Amino acid sequence: MGKTVFIKDTAITGKDRTRDFYGVFLGILREKGLENEVQLVRVADIGIYGQGMTVRVLPENFLYTNVQENDIPAIVLESVVGGKPVQGRSITQPSRQLRIVLRNCGVIDPESIEDYIARDGYQALAKVLGGYTPEKVIQEMKTSGLRGRGGAGFPTGIKWEITRKAQGDQKYMICNGDEGDPGAYMDRSVLESDPHSVIEGMIIGAYAIGASKGYFYIRAEYPLAIERIEKAILQCRERGILGENILSSSFNLDLEIRLGAGAFVCGEETALIASIEGKRGYPSPRPPFPSIKGLWGKPTCINNVETLANIPVILMKGGAWFAGIGTESSKGTKVFAVTGKVKNSGLVEVPMGTAIEDIVYGICGGAMTGKNVKAIQTGGPSGGVIPKEFFQTKVDYESLQKMGSIMGSGGMIVMDEDDCMADIAKFYLGFCVDESCGKCAPCRIGGTQMLRILKKITDGEGTQKDLGQLEQISFAMQKASLCGLGQTAPNPVLSTLRYYRAEYDAHVNQKKCPACKCAKLIRFLILQDKCVKCGMCFKACPVNAISGNRESGYLIDQTKCIRCGQCFEVCKPRAISRS
Amino acid sequence: MIKITKKDLESIKEKHNGADHNWIKVGFSTCGVAAGAKEVYDTLIEEKRKHSADVEIKKCGCVGMCSAEPLVEVHIKNMPTVFYGKVDKEVATKIMEKHVCGKMLVNDRIYDLKLN
Repeated sequence: MGKTVFIKDTAITGKDRTRDFYGVFLGILREKGLENEVQLVRVADIGIYGQGMTVRVLPENFLYTNVQENDIPAIVLESVVGGKPVQGRSITQPSRQLRIVLRNCGVIDPESIEDYIARDGYQALAKVLGGYTPEKVIQEMKTSGLRGRGGAGFPTGIKWEITRKAQGDQKYMICNGDEGDPGAYMDRSVLESDPHSVIEGMIIGAYAIGASKGYFYIRAEYPLAIERIEKAILQCRERGILGENILSSSFNLDLEIRLGAGAFVCGEETALIASIEGKRGYPSPRPPFPSIKGLWGKPTCINNVETLANIPVILMKGGAWFAGIGTESSKGTKVFAVTGKVKNSGLVEVPMGTAIEDIVYGICGGAMTGKNVKAIQTGGPSGGVIPKEFFQTKVDYESLQKMGSIMGSGGMIVMDEDDCMADIAKFYLGFCVDESCGKCAPCRIGGTQMLRILKKITDGEGTQKDLGQLEQISFAMQKASLCGLGQTAPNPVLSTLRYYRAEYDAHVNQKKCPACKCAKLIRFLILQDKCVKCGMCFKACPVNAISGNRESGYLIDQTKCIRCGQCFEVCKPRAISRS
Repeated sequence: MIKITKKDLESIKEKHNGADHNWIKVGFSTCGVAAGAKEVYDTLIEEKRKHSADVEIKKCGCVGMCSAEPLVEVHIKNMPTVFYGKVDKEVATKIMEKHVCGKMLVNDRIYDLKLN
């Protein structure tokens, strides 16, 4: 393979100097007469952030950060020509992602079963049906320590064992693909990119618990996921991987798809079962748990998409292998959907026990615009925020809970200094109020009242008493709500109150929003001494609240201004004040 | 179709993992399609025909770099396997002309590479 050199300026702020550096580097290559043998490439992302000019020499993959112009000759001579790392300068890139669930995502054609089989697909199933008793499968799952990836973290092996032991002439296996947390989409991605791995996980699960019928419950908002699962099920039926005598064994299973109509509460297992039965998606009190009395009163095992995608690998490589990854209490990896104000949003799969800072800064490159990251929000509307000061926290079920948040399904929303915590709490609570089914009073009334108080606070009309009342209602909702939605809905409020009390106090006492987000508490003014009369703000204003011209300057009409901040963003000389 | 057995799994695997050849994969998940993967795919097919290039063009799922969609992964023998991000019609044309036919990587568009 020919020599290739990648370069990229990884400094977060300031001008991108990659082009200038490219010229210098190319000049040195020409001097040495190497310009035809070595390919010098400017790349858009080199996997390193905030470390100055970065150079990667291929095929050996030597990596240099904070490279200065006078380092280039040594790199060219020793690495490019010599094929050796420059002593004391070369670093190894910490490869922090470990892909188990996403092993085939983006690698195979999701609509081709042959592609999946070529990557060891259905080998685990053949191994299980060829010689494992259901008890042995369950034992292997218990050894692996895999816990439910839907959010609650219940050990999968134990769930299977309870369902196996439950009395019933018919049992059911259900795949929960009703992913509803704002900003979380890893289940969609797995269903779309690797449908067969989820199907294989379901067949193994059904074999372990003794089910002959299974359902995919997927929300109707995921048309592509549904289409691909449908196609995959058909391919399996044609090839005898579903139906009767699977892979020539005596095991039978058929799978069907049920569509969710997009109600958030239907991700809760009892509501999900009601929905499949054709009833209204209301949750019901547990116990009895679905493992004992579930779909149509029969023992039912419900597993999340990500949980199921783990299963084929665990049975291929063994439970002990899986248990070797992760922390004491949480094994394996977790997929996070990192979104919000982060440079590289996307899916990230890391071993349990990876520090939050490694995910946010190391893999995703930190904040998008060079502003400071303020906090992350995990677990969707049931979770909480974790401030930047605690980013050394290692992600697993327990440590996140200790921080007042939860693992949840794996949404991770990054917030920067422009985000107001009271406003964030209001957003998530508003989501839960919209999605509350209204069956129980604590959730229905408590949520609405809390939202009313939060609106008051962000409008600058709150009092200290309101903050106390927020806490009081939160505790009542946690204790008295019927299902997980109501019990966890106050979490974003409680965790923002816990970490950002000062911000709430500023809203209540000084009637100020420290992040300058709450529209009723801020105003924009043009500082005439700094204004260069360029007219950018005039063009940017969506409601024509800015008047004037390039000779006389501009003014903001406060009665028309909707405080959207567009003028503030576009003003180059920073002549617009926000307070 | 004939029902497959454990043995068939092995033979399908062997047949499928054949000799090393040139390929291009275009991410076709919701994120990719929304960002314009279809146009990129069509452009690549069209350019391949124009240049009679020796390369297989495939569809695949989502690799997870959603902010850089549409993503195109290019594997050409004796060259690093790389991911091009934010690919549009113009870049897709360049990929076929420069990378596949000219064996030169395209500047400013590589978002990741596959090491092994």
